Amino acid sequence: MTMQWDNTTLFSDDDPADRAFRAEVRAWIAANCPKELRDRPLRIDPPELKPWHRKLYERGWIAPHWPKEVGGMGATLTQQIILFEEMSRIGAPTPYPHGLNFIGPLIIDAGTPEQKARHLPGILTGDITWCQGYSEAGAGSDLASLTTRAVLDGDAFVVNGHKMWTTNGHFADWMFALVRTDPQAKPRHAGITMLLIHLTSPGITVRPIQTIRGDAEFAEEFFVDVRVPKANMLGALNGGWQVANRLLGSERFTTGHPRNAAVILNKARQIAEYTGAIRDPAFRHRLALIEIDLLAFSAFYRHAASLQSHGKAPLAMAPVIKIAGGELGQQASELLVDAAGPLGASAADVMVGNTALNPAADLFEMRRVTVGSGTVEIQRNIIAKRVLDLPGA
Amino acid sequence: MDLLLNEEQLLLRDAATKLAASAGPRRARELRNAGSEVDRTAWSAMVKAGWLAALVPETQNGLGLGLFDLALALEETGRQIVMTPLIEAAAAIWAVSRATDASHLARTATAAKIVIPAMTLPGQRYDSVASPALDPGAMTLTGAVSFVAFAPSADLFLVAAQAGSEAVLCLVPRDASGLAIATTPNVDGSTSSTLTFARVAVADEHLVARGEIAAATAARMQELLVLGTSAELLGVAAAALDLTVQYTKLREQFGRKIGSFQALQHRMVDCYVDAELNRSLLFKVLSAWDGGVAHPAMVSAVKARVGKSALKTVRTALQLHGAIGYTDEHDIGVTYKRAVALAAKYGNEITHVGRFSALTLTQRAAE
Repeated sequence: MTMQWDNTTLFSDDDPADRAFRAEVRAWIAANCPKELRDRPLRIDPPELKPWHRKLYERGWIAPHWPKEVGGMGATLTQQIILFEEMSRIGAPTPYPHGLNFIGPLIIDAGTPEQKARHLPGILTGDITWCQGYSEAGAGSDLASLTTRAVLDGDAFVVNGHKMWTTNGHFADWMFALVRTDPQAKPRHAGITMLLIHLTSPGITVRPIQTIRGDAEFAEEFFVDVRVPKANMLGALNGGWQVANRLLGSERFTTGHPRNAAVILNKARQIAEYTGAIRDPAFRHRLALIEIDLLAFSAFYRHAASLQSHGKAPLAMAPVIKIAGGELGQQASELLVDAAGPLGASAADVMVGNTALNPAADLFEMRRVTVGSGTVEIQRNIIAKRVLDLPGA
Repeated sequence: MDLLLNEEQLLLRDAATKLAASAGPRRARELRNAGSEVDRTAWSAMVKAGWLAALVPETQNGLGLGLFDLALALEETGRQIVMTPLIEAAAAIWAVSRATDASHLARTATAAKIVIPAMTLPGQRYDSVASPALDPGAMTLTGAVSFVAFAPSADLFLVAAQAGSEAVLCLVPRDASGLAIATTPNVDGSTSSTLTFARVAVADEHLVARGEIAAATAARMQELLVLGTSAELLGVAAAALDLTVQYTKLREQFGRKIGSFQALQHRMVDCYVDAELNRSLLFKVLSAWDGGVAHPAMVSAVKARVGKSALKTVRTALQLHGAIGYTDEHDIGVTYKRAVALAAKYGNEITHVGRFSALTLTQRAAE
């Protein structure tokens, strides 16, 4: 599926070098991304993505945001955004972020030479799948209340506890986990450590969790006396919170890209032409409202990226991207279901021309984006406190 | 978020902040009560600073600024509710300079004057009223234009009319014989007028342009009015949010500052998020406008979204102020009324969403 009315004139690349890079990327992806991976209405599990990951790795484009000396591309933020946009334009799947965007940069930043040598190559090639072990049954928005315990015993930590809502947990080889190493610490986040845990270690049970979308995106993991070598501690003992919080900045830019909502909005337009909803003035009004919101969010996103490139990104940038982008994606998915009319309730794919659409699956998928990695309510709390400087409770 | 501004732009914004500092909601209320729609002190300062010719090239004795730059000033004057026809005069004077050559007398006739565009904007027309038409033989103007701002204060109107199949732009002095002006007051102290032309003679030197250049200039002038007003409205919404944040930090109920309540915090944050997105959108579209790239749908997107958010913000502001917000004495009410007036001016949300929808559907059909 191609972007139809893409406001590319308004949001075009200013720099000729960027335009040339975009053309190069577009041509290469068109020639190299397997057709059967494009525009898939449902999630693609990590094993099926590995060959595509490998191709991007061999082309040198798998880690645009990593420095060159550790095998990345050392790309500018604009180039990173171009790569993401061009993949999204053609409906190509983007590699999962847990290795490349989350733990990779943290290891580059805070890892020992041994940790870098051991873990970075597998992340780049895609041979090793990572998952993030932060949330627990009792620690969601209030992450600092996590209770999975790690006790130092000689040269290893002994880990006991339970992690939950772990995307790709049942496919992962490794988990980066926040664990409690000091139960008495005040504030509570000062007693948390980051461990890199090999998931084949004895004492770990992994169970997939079925989502409302119908696939098993998440898993939960039970840890019973699991021994994790002390050498697998990332950063300092009780310094895990600081390590995790370094993950700000350019990583936000691909997860919050306006094209995520644009893709769904295009599907809504496509199916509205199929069902005839496009001729309904009430539908057109709603479509226009969301398109206008998308334009505003795209402008904000470009503005934020340009400030980030100048080292002037404001505090509120990440929460605003999260709130505006997430809620826009949801509205687009709701419009998609409405555009489909009775087909909005279909559990099976809807064929529109050669494209398989699954409006309800997109609707369910989008419910996640305002919850995962910090709910939009938590993001609003952050803006209230840090930007508007409103008093605490 | 900050804009990446150059030295000149920073100076301009500072100048606007200083100029606007003498205004404010209190002054706007006084003017309204006195039945005066223009803050003459602020206006004199703007004339002196050369802002009326802000968009005119330096080679034609203008400041040579872009709409992006002028909008920096308009956002500040919006914030302080400075009641002046800045965007109207700047748009009309720009249009005259664009459509005429150096020897044209219309240029000197309009310099430093209150020149008000008289044209029919989207959603701003009574069906029963005939648009102005110029009789090319007799050179007389007949017809009407509704919803003209600042008419009682105008020196001249720049009228967009038709002469047969051809567009024309011509100047008409406010006191021209045969011109009737019916004015109604708006809630913020501004006015809205219907100009009715009954065989109004148009002098040769007042015929600014005809044909394609007149049509193109009128279209761009209309975008100036819509975008400039959006910039002002963005400033009004920002002022309303600022007032509300300050108030909820002071006001106590149940033994706590009400600004500590999450329900209230989240409502203010939503206004903030809206304003951030609108600001990025507005200035992105202004850059494109200055670059000569016409985006009629984008212009409507800006006014629709800025208008909608401004109204949401002032509603929230009034609600969070409680009973005091309902009094005429409090500044938030003045801010509320200003937002209502500017949101309705030059096309409201419904008008511009409809226009956006029509333009984008046409554009897609053409692809």
